[in-house]
Amino acid sequence: MATDTSSGFPCALTLNVPFPDARLASVALQALRVDKELSLLVKRDLSAVAAEGSSDPTVLRVEYKAATNRMLRVAVNSCLDSLALVLEVQEELDVDAVEKRRAQGKSR
Amino acid sequence: MAVTDVARKKRRIALGCEGSANKLGIGVILHEGDPANPKSTVLSNVRHTFVSPPGTGFLPKDTAHHHRAFFVRVARQALADAGVGLDEIDCVCYTRGPGMGAPLTSVAVAARTLALLWGKPLVGVNHCVGHIEMGRAITGADHPVVLYVSGGNTQVIAYAEQRYRIFGETLDIAVGNCLDRFARALAISNDPAPGYNIEQLAKQGGRVLLDLPYAVKGMDCSFSGILTRAEELAAQMKAGGGKGPDGEPFTGADLCFSLQETVFAMLVEITERAMAHVGSNQVLIVGGVGCNERLQEMMGLMAADRGGSVYATDERFCIDNGIMIAHAGLLAYETGFSTPVEDSTCTQRFRTDEVLVKWRK
Repeated sequence: MATDTSSGFPCALTLNVPFPDARLASVALQALRVDKELSLLVKRDLSAVAAEGSSDPTVLRVEYKAATNRMLRVAVNSCLDSLALVLEVQEELDVDAVEKRRAQGKSR
Repeated sequence: MAVTDVARKKRRIALGCEGSANKLGIGVILHEGDPANPKSTVLSNVRHTFVSPPGTGFLPKDTAHHHRAFFVRVARQALADAGVGLDEIDCVCYTRGPGMGAPLTSVAVAARTLALLWGKPLVGVNHCVGHIEMGRAITGADHPVVLYVSGGNTQVIAYAEQRYRIFGETLDIAVGNCLDRFARALAISNDPAPGYNIEQLAKQGGRVLLDLPYAVKGMDCSFSGILTRAEELAAQMKAGGGKGPDGEPFTGADLCFSLQETVFAMLVEITERAMAHVGSNQVLIVGGVGCNERLQEMMGLMAADRGGSVYATDERFCIDNGIMIAHAGLLAYETGFSTPVEDSTCTQRFRTDEVLVKWRK
């Protein structure tokens, strides 16, 4: 992984999370970037970027830098937990999913 | 109070999400009529509680994990029970604080996602104000002194000039925290809640009142000393030594009884003091400890002596729930308040009197 020993955050990890469309990537970005990292030894950067060969920002890029590997692991795991929640909410509670269930409920 | 566009609508609906402690609650509320005094209807109120094994408490990381694991399930149930379409929902409300950090944030992340997916405004709500507003709506209490007692909070509150002002509070731990931690000393089950099980066990006590330190300090009170003493007595009892004032060995039931009688008497005293200050003879008890029937009874005796009465709600509303967040959030939203997503953080410390209660005169 890329290191940056000069700045005191030598342990780094970048995740590129593909989303079906730019809207969902943007929703995830906005939901996840609000909460600050709890530790000063961890730096995080979130952005929505385009996949290779595309101009649509459908990929959520998560860049972490930390002072130690342990801090990096803890921070990234926590981010993945939140990301998993966002994904589950998007899958089951987006407008189309909710309306579909409601229509099915009514047709019984 | 300015009348906003949404307040002019005949039907206003909000979804509320709560997770500041170990209860994950999501509910949907309907407001009709004048926003200054709306007719409120509970369309759904779903809750799932994270229960830890006997002898343990719930830790932030595990609690947050529980909330993340159950959010979608509980939200789906709340929407299904309410039977409303997304186009009818006006806003998504969430608990901004106070409470435990990781659990609060786990719910906030999901609430933000819903608000963004559905294109609805987000409303951050103070947990204590949620309890108060729900208590007022359910009981119709007019101008009560509010005793807010739970695992996380112990405050005596009265409304004055658009603030819920704290007249008295715990100087250290909440009364519910005292009870919950004492339950661990006796390995009492946390299902459905440690306080509930203490209440049931206490009913088997009453033969003796064990001596526990009574710590009222003016308008405030303190529970950490009582907890320490109660834990000491529990240890004595387990070691086979404890004897009550009548020379007979005391039981866990005697301890539960004595603890309740002592801490509840303290709460009655500080509530009465606030009532005298404010000139009110009504008491509204909110928060999980408010479910306790012995507390309601003792408070009722005091209030009756003063020519007044006690108002309390049942476990659907005293225990942490999502509907109170939806209700308080919608009241705020109807005055034009909302929380931009980028500002929708959570905070562990959020004083009840920090909220400007614009929806009341």
